Amino acid sequence: MILLIDMDAFFASVEQAHHPHLRGRPVIVCGDPGRRGVVTAASYEARPSGVHAGMPLQEARRLCPEAEYVEGNPEKYVGISLQLLDLYLRHSPDVEPFSVDEAFVGLFGPRVTFESAIEVARTIQSEVAERFGLGASIGIAPNKLIAKMAAGSRKPRGLTPMDPPAFRDTFWPLDIQELWGVGPQLATRMRSLGISTVGELARAPDPVLSAAFGIIGPQLKQAANGEDDAPLIPYHQGVDAKSMGHEVTLSEDCADAGFLDGTLLRLSDQVARRLRGEGYVGRVVAIKLRTHRFATTIRQRALDDFTDDHLRIYEVARALLAANWKGESLRLIGVSVSSLARRGEAVQSDLFERRTRDLALRAALDRVRDRLGEASLVPAGSLRHQRSLGHVPFGAMSSAHRVKSRLSTADSDPPTTPCPKTPLGF
Amino acid sequence: MFESLNDPVDVLTAFLEGGFEPLRFRWKGKVVRIRKVTGRWSRREGQAVLRYFAVEGGNDDTYELCYDPRGPRWILSRAWNGVA
Repeated sequence: MILLIDMDAFFASVEQAHHPHLRGRPVIVCGDPGRRGVVTAASYEARPSGVHAGMPLQEARRLCPEAEYVEGNPEKYVGISLQLLDLYLRHSPDVEPFSVDEAFVGLFGPRVTFESAIEVARTIQSEVAERFGLGASIGIAPNKLIAKMAAGSRKPRGLTPMDPPAFRDTFWPLDIQELWGVGPQLATRMRSLGISTVGELARAPDPVLSAAFGIIGPQLKQAANGEDDAPLIPYHQGVDAKSMGHEVTLSEDCADAGFLDGTLLRLSDQVARRLRGEGYVGRVVAIKLRTHRFATTIRQRALDDFTDDHLRIYEVARALLAANWKGESLRLIGVSVSSLARRGEAVQSDLFERRTRDLALRAALDRVRDRLGEASLVPAGSLRHQRSLGHVPFGAMSSAHRVKSRLSTADSDPPTTPCPKTPLGF
Repeated sequence: MFESLNDPVDVLTAFLEGGFEPLRFRWKGKVVRIRKVTGRWSRREGQAVLRYFAVEGGNDDTYELCYDPRGPRWILSRAWNGVA
């Protein structure tokens, strides 16, 4: 049996749990509320106004002016997410994180029944509420697909067991886009074939689906029938990453080539650092550009060899920007690297040819950042957009300020003392 | 609204059962008694693990405190100032 535990309005609920005055009020988690950006998460109290994740903040303020706009803290949510995984692991060793706020939990063995799985789910729900003050909706099913869709069918704080017949009763009458894995574009194509509901997809002829959608056609039909044989992969076993990337929504629309160049350099550096940190090299570099009119362009280029070098990634990203940016104001820019391989397994002629000095330098720079934090060293070229560094993920800028302050005052700092000389007055 | 501060503060701390938590802190000349710790999390900055606490004061005021072992020191990172 498989549980899918889906935290209810996770980011907003964490803020409500940590700050009681937010409870019962519409809460919108976003980037810096003083800047332009998008809604990261909306509490259930804000949703009736029509606010949803991904909506521009400006529109959210118009729809829900009374909401409390809270700057999100990704590290806090990741920290809580890891604590939640620890909690799930007390109930089963088979826990697969699906996203920061969702996880599959496998309950296997001859004695596991729907009833016993429901009991475990109920216990997890109450422990999450008691320990974290958070709500979770849980789907309970024989496979991941049904568990995922069951969890989403009753929120917040839902507990939904669902077997295949119940899946058909619940989802077959619904719009095709309700099926997990079917997005707006795919749904439009299906409707053009006369497939408008999940049930119609479940009964569609295989040849029609194969002709229209290739290999995924029959797979989608299996999904519509509630069939899914995807295994649960416990996270201690790990899975290889397919790509790594970073993107940033700019604080204001930007057509300044120098600024965009600096941003590309910083993003390339972040991607390269992650690649090296997790032992990967990659050979396809892509950039993502989104204009102020929300037109998104993704362009990529394959390298001759694998790399984890930020300058190499940056050079390609820069060339892609030069070839594809027509000078229009951008609101978002991103860099990613795909076609990844484990370092050592990949053929890396460029790595072998690197001068020893370069490798030693890169290793030394990585060691400094491992020890002092990401913002202790940044490429000088990226400082052309210093304002944006305030939103380096994981609060690196605040650390930069502290490190800078420590370095600049190191000579004049008085020696630290374990106890203050004056009473604290508590 | 929330105020981002990053102010160093003196914190009276209890060390209990292998862990620790803040009891009171002094900020802007006032002592804030912590009524409840509403959340805990941590993050790594280089080799250091920073411990964060979301706490409730006595008058529906809430704060986020950070213990930075590199000082060691406490930082008041965020406060709710009561103005919606």
